[in-house]
Amino acid sequence: MQRLSKFIGNQERVEVLTERKRADKVGIGEEFAEFEFEVGPALNRQYVDALQADPNRYKEIVHPGLLLFYSNITRSPSHYLPSGTATVHAKEETNFHNPAYVGKTFRVYWKVIDIYEKRGNLFQVKKALILDEDGQVILERTINDTHLSGRR
Amino acid sequence: MELMGIDTAEGTVFSGYARKLTEQNVYDFSGGPRTDPEWPHKTIHTSTEFAQNCGLRERMASGAMFEAYLVDLLIDLFGEEWLHYGSIRLTFIFPAGPGDMLTPKAAVQSMQQMDFGVRFVMDVWCENQRGDRTC
Repeated sequence: MQRLSKFIGNQERVEVLTERKRADKVGIGEEFAEFEFEVGPALNRQYVDALQADPNRYKEIVHPGLLLFYSNITRSPSHYLPSGTATVHAKEETNFHNPAYVGKTFRVYWKVIDIYEKRGNLFQVKKALILDEDGQVILERTINDTHLSGRR
Repeated sequence: MELMGIDTAEGTVFSGYARKLTEQNVYDFSGGPRTDPEWPHKTIHTSTEFAQNCGLRERMASGAMFEAYLVDLLIDLFGEEWLHYGSIRLTFIFPAGPGDMLTPKAAVQSMQQMDFGVRFVMDVWCENQRGDRTC
């Protein structure tokens, strides 16, 4: 958690969700439940194929696209939205720190750091951080999401 | 593709290879692991019905796919070292779905000599077969 704090800052309020909570109701300072995943060769190859990337480049290195997908907020075990509602990605910044290696286990953390309104829509800003099993920082993201509902 | 060097001129535009988005690509990227019995999971990316229930006209590929295409291009240009220090900032502006052809592009905006080497600032984007920028 100290590593997460270093990147996320804002220590005034930290509350880690242990149960599912409507994602669009998660407030500033709250952390979504962390997510752990292992990347084996088959999963990595699935993303190499999906992205039509060079398999030789990504034999040992995890394709960054896999890491982006697995650090989307919908991966958090505490993420929940009612039927007919979805999270939509508006913009983001990703900082890469180290390559991720196939065969390792990774852990993702998320914290809501801001909420703002633009053109009548609420946007939720989250920091996401991926660490590998050795505690090495792989990447950090600042993600701006909004939520769509078909029941407006 | 050759790696970037200090002799690369500002304004130079680099183009990655075009990728045709297919159903399979979208399922593989956004549907969860293929080994999952419920694969592909229903999301706004994989299911038209799910997307329409959420108020969208149709399903759309994840913006993270566009970002991944760009990361591939940046590794082409800067080498795998880019994964130690690279940074990318994107706004998702136009959706894409199966049947669309997407090409990642990067243009040298500026370069600056730093203590640790040369810092390049690039304008990066993906464009579809009509020339619209998706991000």
